[in-house]
Amino acid sequence: MTKILVVDIEKCSGCRICEVACSWFHEEEFNPAKARLSIVSWKKAAISYPMICEQCEKAPCKEVCPTDAIYKDEESGAWKVDEVKCIGCKFCIQVCPLGAISFFEEKRGAIKCDLCDGDPQCVKFCPMDAIEFVEEDKVGLKKKRISAEKLFATMQEIPK
Amino acid sequence: MQSAKLAMKNEKVTKMVKLTINNKKMEVEEGTTLLEAAQKLGIEIPTLCHHSALKPYGACRVCLVEVIKGSKVGLVASCTYPAEEGLVAKTDTKRVKRARRLSIELLLARCPTSEKVRELALKLGVKKTRFKEEKEECILCGLCVRVCEEMIGKSAISFINRGADREVTTPFKIESSECIGCGACAYLCPTEVIKIEDVIKYRKLDFWNTKLELKKCKVCGRYFIPTVELKYLKEKIKSFEEIELPEEVLEVCPKCRRRILSDKMKEFIGG
Ligand code: SF4
Ligand code: SF4
Ligand code: SF4
Ligand code: FES
Repeated sequence: MTKILVVDIEKCSGCRICEVACSWFHEEEFNPAKARLSIVSWKKAAISYPMICEQCEKAPCKEVCPTDAIYKDEESGAWKVDEVKCIGCKFCIQVCPLGAISFFEEKRGAIKCDLCDGDPQCVKFCPMDAIEFVEEDKVGLKKKRISAEKLFATMQEIPK
Repeated sequence: MQSAKLAMKNEKVTKMVKLTINNKKMEVEEGTTLLEAAQKLGIEIPTLCHHSALKPYGACRVCLVEVIKGSKVGLVASCTYPAEEGLVAKTDTKRVKRARRLSIELLLARCPTSEKVRELALKLGVKKTRFKEEKEECILCGLCVRVCEEMIGKSAISFINRGADREVTTPFKIESSECIGCGACAYLCPTEVIKIEDVIKYRKLDFWNTKLELKKCKVCGRYFIPTVELKYLKEKIKSFEEIELPEEVLEVCPKCRRRILSDKMKEFIGG
């Protein structure tokens, strides 16, 4: 059963511990800039929200990658990047509707959430329990897809 | 009928050949290179012009290995040489080491300042080159030319001239009309001679004599993607199977995509 990350926006306090946990797990650095999820804060509205890869079922990043460097890890259900195959074109970054892929210049290629091979550190360390790791059908496709749909709708409103 | 076809296809895919590398027997699919076969055994072979997503090229010759066929012994570039039935290969003989050292010495003479070349030279036991030093910064590995053509589908750059005058550049050495500014060439270049820099409205690729106009993010106004790359990606996403990605997404920079979305989230929960 595929499990996905679900965020409860009302619980997030914007502490960024998830970012730190993520970068420590993957890069052994306490560096939010190297996290695979990012906290977006709106000071005016006093609101924060972690943006995380939704592991889209049909993923634009995978589709655009010219080298098939992006593949599905069957065990965790995450889309992963094969460093060895990545050619650094950054097309995946340009097409991800959530802006969820980053790139490290020091030759590691595209970087994205890999669900920590089934043990997401952001979930483990979030003091507010704002991120949950739950089975996909329990969430319902509707909730999962909502962010992408909202984004698309907003995009249409942006004047040409 | 269909299953017969399938079986045939399967047979084609799985034809195996047996070979021996460093006295270890192994079986690999036909078409596998010696380099790939050795890597499967965990044997390390140095490479400079190889990339697993690109066609083998055989330019740098630091990946040399010894192959023994009957009474014949020869040195071959493992990145281009196919695994053959009954082949015996050795990757760590004196002869191999000597040959690799010569290859890297030549490259070191050509590009004495390249960090990657120097690093590999040291690893192979070469501190200094006996050849006359030049001041080139490109080792002619062709990774840039190949990635642009094979993966990006553009032919913005190519090799010109022969012998000592050989170099990689754009046609007529003038601004490329093909380059989309993706940066894959720069990412793969082992000597890091291809530099890409965004200067306000332009992406500058000086090594390719090219300057591309950048497009502004529709939300924050920051210049973030070359106009030509935007066009290229818009074409690409049209051909996506079963994914409808509105073109407009590409006109908003990734950072703003995150922001807009979180803003919408707030509305969504009624915040
Ligand atoms: S940057 Fe790497 S993973 Fe992303 S599309 Fe290019 S080759 Fe694929
Ligand atoms: S930046 Fe230009 S030259 Fe380099 S790979 Fe991309 S299209 Fe080709
Ligand atoms: S410019 Fe760089 S990638 Fe291109 S051939 Fe020269 S060394 Fe290789
Ligand atoms: S890696 Fe084989 S010749 Fe360069």
